[in-house]
Amino acid sequence: MKHTLIHLNTSPYSSLACKEGLDLALVLATFEQPVDLCLSGAALALLSDTQQPTAEHGKNLHKLLAGLEFYDIENVYIEKNHSWLDSTTSWQGVTPLDSTEWQTMFSQYQQVFRF
Amino acid sequence: MQYTLLITGSPYHSKACHTALRFIRAALNKSPDSIKGVFFYEDAVLIGSQVAQPPRDEINLTQAWQEIAEQHNIPLYLCIAAAVRRGIINEGESRRYELEQHTLAEYFQLEGLGTLVDLMNTTNKIIQFR
Repeated sequence: MKHTLIHLNTSPYSSLACKEGLDLALVLATFEQPVDLCLSGAALALLSDTQQPTAEHGKNLHKLLAGLEFYDIENVYIEKNHSWLDSTTSWQGVTPLDSTEWQTMFSQYQQVFRF
Repeated sequence: MQYTLLITGSPYHSKACHTALRFIRAALNKSPDSIKGVFFYEDAVLIGSQVAQPPRDEINLTQAWQEIAEQHNIPLYLCIAAAVRRGIINEGESRRYELEQHTLAEYFQLEGLGTLVDLMNTTNKIIQFR
């Protein structure tokens, strides 16, 4: 069984990439495949609590985060030092990694898919 | 070594489908059994449209993939959810949605992401083109 990392790097609302990356993570977990997530770049906006997307923006993907634990997706990594990610208004289920840990992380998976 | 290709880049906004095509030709040239399957996801599913018509002086990418599938008996899977939302519909889905037409090109088939998971677990390496 291969351990998979899904790396989300695109805005949740500028395309379907973020949603379809999350969909793949949930399907992998449903098939009992070990899968972790990591977020960088514009995908970090997914963590903000203060999202009120309209139908035109697309689904509120932030709401999916709370359900990840029910799929046994326990690790969601971000890189430390994103000062704009105010801890009082962002999802607290992430594990921040320092720069070295972040870089090392990618080599610890058999498969990494980017969305 | 047997590969599965996961292609996620749009045939119109990226060169993912083009690069993957060059890769698969090289791999098959070296070893005829080197490709287990190809799974198209995200905007890459647009490759499976039978109604898209590229200008005659440009490569017909869908046709190029169909030739690979026919010559080497390689399955070309499109994620069904990604395809249906983008209007790539086979006969079965056409009936389900009570439509009068279907748009899935020959040699492509609609499958769920579970098929990709199965490919992951039965292939040495999976390579993403985006």
